[in-house]
Amino acid sequence: MNALPLLPYVVSASAYVVYFARRSEPAGRVATVTLVLGALTHTFVLGMQTMQVGHIPFVGTRGAVSFFVCLLALAYLYTEMMTDERAMGVFIVPLMAVLQLIPAATNSVAPRPEVLDSPWFAIHVSALLFAYASFALACVVGVTYELLFKELKAKHLGFFYARLPSLQVLDVMNGRAVAVGWVFLTVGLVVGAVWLLQVQQDTLDPRVQAMTLLDPKIFLVVVCWLVYSFELYARRAIGWSGRRAALLSAVGFTVLLLNFVPLSYFVTGSHNFY
Amino acid sequence: MHLLLVGTSHHSAPVDLRERVDFSRRGVPEALTVLDEIRGITEVVVLSTCNRSEIYVVCEDPSHQRDALASFMSAYHDVPESELAPHLYSRLDADAVRHLFRVAAGLDALVVGEPQILGQVKDAFTTASQRGCTGTLLNRLFQWSFSVGKRVRSETGLGEGAVSVSFAAISLAKKIFGDLTGARALLIGAGEMAELTATHLRTHGVGRINVASRTPAHAAALAATVQGEAVPWADITTQLTSADIVVTATGSSAPIVTRTHVDAAMRPRRDRPLFIIDIGLPRDVDPSSGEIEQVFLYNIDDLKTIVRENQTRRQSKVDRAESIVDEDVEQFMVWLGSRAAIPTLVALRRRFETIRQSELDRLKPKLASLPPAAQGRVEEITRLLVEKLLSDPTEQLRTTTDQERVASYTDALNRLFKLQDDANGTRSGTRSPASRSKVPTSRDR
Repeated sequence: MNALPLLPYVVSASAYVVYFARRSEPAGRVATVTLVLGALTHTFVLGMQTMQVGHIPFVGTRGAVSFFVCLLALAYLYTEMMTDERAMGVFIVPLMAVLQLIPAATNSVAPRPEVLDSPWFAIHVSALLFAYASFALACVVGVTYELLFKELKAKHLGFFYARLPSLQVLDVMNGRAVAVGWVFLTVGLVVGAVWLLQVQQDTLDPRVQAMTLLDPKIFLVVVCWLVYSFELYARRAIGWSGRRAALLSAVGFTVLLLNFVPLSYFVTGSHNFY
Repeated sequence: MHLLLVGTSHHSAPVDLRERVDFSRRGVPEALTVLDEIRGITEVVVLSTCNRSEIYVVCEDPSHQRDALASFMSAYHDVPESELAPHLYSRLDADAVRHLFRVAAGLDALVVGEPQILGQVKDAFTTASQRGCTGTLLNRLFQWSFSVGKRVRSETGLGEGAVSVSFAAISLAKKIFGDLTGARALLIGAGEMAELTATHLRTHGVGRINVASRTPAHAAALAATVQGEAVPWADITTQLTSADIVVTATGSSAPIVTRTHVDAAMRPRRDRPLFIIDIGLPRDVDPSSGEIEQVFLYNIDDLKTIVRENQTRRQSKVDRAESIVDEDVEQFMVWLGSRAAIPTLVALRRRFETIRQSELDRLKPKLASLPPAAQGRVEEITRLLVEKLLSDPTEQLRTTTDQERVASYTDALNRLFKLQDDANGTRSGTRSPASRSKVPTSRDR
C-alpha cells in the first residue's frame, strides 16, 4: 500500500521539472493536480493503516519517512496555494518521490512496542515530522535564494531570474518556514523528554535506556535545534537575513536529513523501533 | 459577406494625427451608434488605443464601405479627408483576421509583446457587444483573437524581459524587493535622466522618493515634479543608509559615491539589500562598491546589455508568435468558409430531399405491394444514396479556406441546381440577402 502514492508523486515530480524548464502552464497544472492526488492517496493509505493496526503507522524509519513525505506534500501544497508560486515544486517534489521509495518497498506496518503506547509518543513524532517538513521547505527556499542571488550579483539574468519570485519573497518564506518548524521542533523535543522521564524508570528496554543526550540521534537533533534557534535569534536581533539565513537553514536541514535516514538505520541505539 | 477593417496606427500615422482621430475623445459608444446606422454594415467593433484607431465591420460591399468608413472617420473627428486618407489602411477578410490576431498578440504594437493591448481589445469588444453591435462573425473573431493573444503569451513568453533601460531597472528592483510600495528611493542628481527614472519608480509604486543635488534649487524642483522630498547634499551617507533603491545620474567627472560611503551606509543596514543604479556617464559610483555582499550595483552598460539580450530573445519569440498567428488565421478562415457555404449546403440538401420524396411519392402505388419491411428498406436505401452523394461536396465546401473559391463553388451549385429559385420559390427559410441584415448578438458567445 505504501507504493500507492509513489506513482502520483513521480508523475508530479516529472511535471514540475517540465514546468520549471519549459515554463509550460499546462505542465504546472498537471504537477499540482497530481500532487494533490498523491497527497490525498497518501493520507488515505496512512488512515487505512491506522485503522488496521490501531495506531498511527510511524513507528520505525519506514513509517516515519512515509508520514514525513505526506506532511511535506501537505505543507508544500499549502505554501503553493498561499503564495501562488509553483517554482519551488521542482526542488521539493522530486525529493519526496525519492524518499517515498524507502517505505514503498514494504507493505507491512511496523508493530508498535508496548513502551510506545502513549499519546506522548504520537505527539512527539507528529510534531517532529512536521518540523522536518517545514525545515525541508525552508532549505529549498534558501537554496533558490542563493541561486537567484548569484545571478543578480553576476548581472547575468538567466534561468532562475525568469522563474523565481523576488529575493524579498524568498527571504520571508524562509523566515516563516523556520519559525513554524522551530515551534514544532521545540514541542516535539520537550514532549519526548517528558515521555522519557515517565517511562525510563519503569522499563528495562535497552533502546529507552540508550536515550541520553549523548545518543548520536538525540545529540544531532539538539544541535539542529541550536542552529535554528540561532537563525531565528540572528534574524530578529542582529538583522541577519538573506544569504546567511538561507545558508543556516540549508545546513540545518542537511543535518536533519542525515539524522533522519542513514543514522536511524545504522548508528543510533535509541530510536530504532522496527 | 465580408470582414473589413479600416484604421490608422503608429505604423501609418504621426502622433499628432493619431491624437486627432482618437475615438476615446468623443467616446467609443457614440461612434458605435453612428456606425451602426450606416447602411450595409451588419456588425461593428471600434478599437481605440493611444496608438491605434480601427473600425472592424461586417458588410456585403467592402469597396463601397471602405470609402464610407473613411468619410465617417474624417467627418466624425473633423479631420479633412484629404489629410486623413494617406494615413488610413484597410484590410479585407483573411488580412483583416490576421491583422486583429497580430494586434491581440502584441505583434503589431509599438513595443512588440507589450501586454496591455489584449485587455484593450477585450474592452473594445465588450463595449460593442453590450450595445448589440456585434453578431456571430465578430463575436467569433474577437473571442478567437483573445485565445490567440493568450496562446502567444503562454507558448512563446513574448512580452517577458525588459526592452528599455528604465524598465530593466524596475524589473531588477522588483526581483530584489518584490513589491515596491514599501521601498524608498534616493535620487542623486536632478537632471533629465534622473527625472525619467523617478517617474518610472513612481508609476511602479515606490512609496518614498528623496532627491539630492549639488544645487538645492534643482533638487527642490525635481522633488516637486515627482512628489518627492529634497534632501541636503551633505546627508548622502545617511540617506544611503535608509534607501533601498539609489539612482545616480549626475554629470560629475569624479565618482560621487565612494566605496567608503557605501561601506559606512551598509554597516547599520546589516543584510538589507541595496540596489544602486548608476546611469551617470562617467560613472557616479565607485565600481568596487558592487563587491559588498548585499549591494547590487548596475551601471548603464549593464542595463543596456540586459536590454540587448532581451531584444535578441524577443526576436526568436516573434517568429514563433507569427507562426501561431498563421495557424489560427487558417483555422478561422476554415470556420468562416464553412459558414459562408452553409445556406447553399442547406438548400442543396433540401433540394435532394425534395427530389427523393417526390420520387418515393410517385412510386408509392408500385411500392404498396411490397411487404412493410421491404418498403422500409427502399426508404432507407434512397436516404443513404442521397447522403453518400452529398458527403464529398459538403466536406469540400466546408474545408475550403479561400473565400473566392467558396463563392464560386456556391455560385456554381446555386446555378446548376437552381437553388436560388428553389429557396425564393418556396420561401422555405434560407435567408435572402435582404433578410440577413442583423445576426442575433448573444447566441454565439
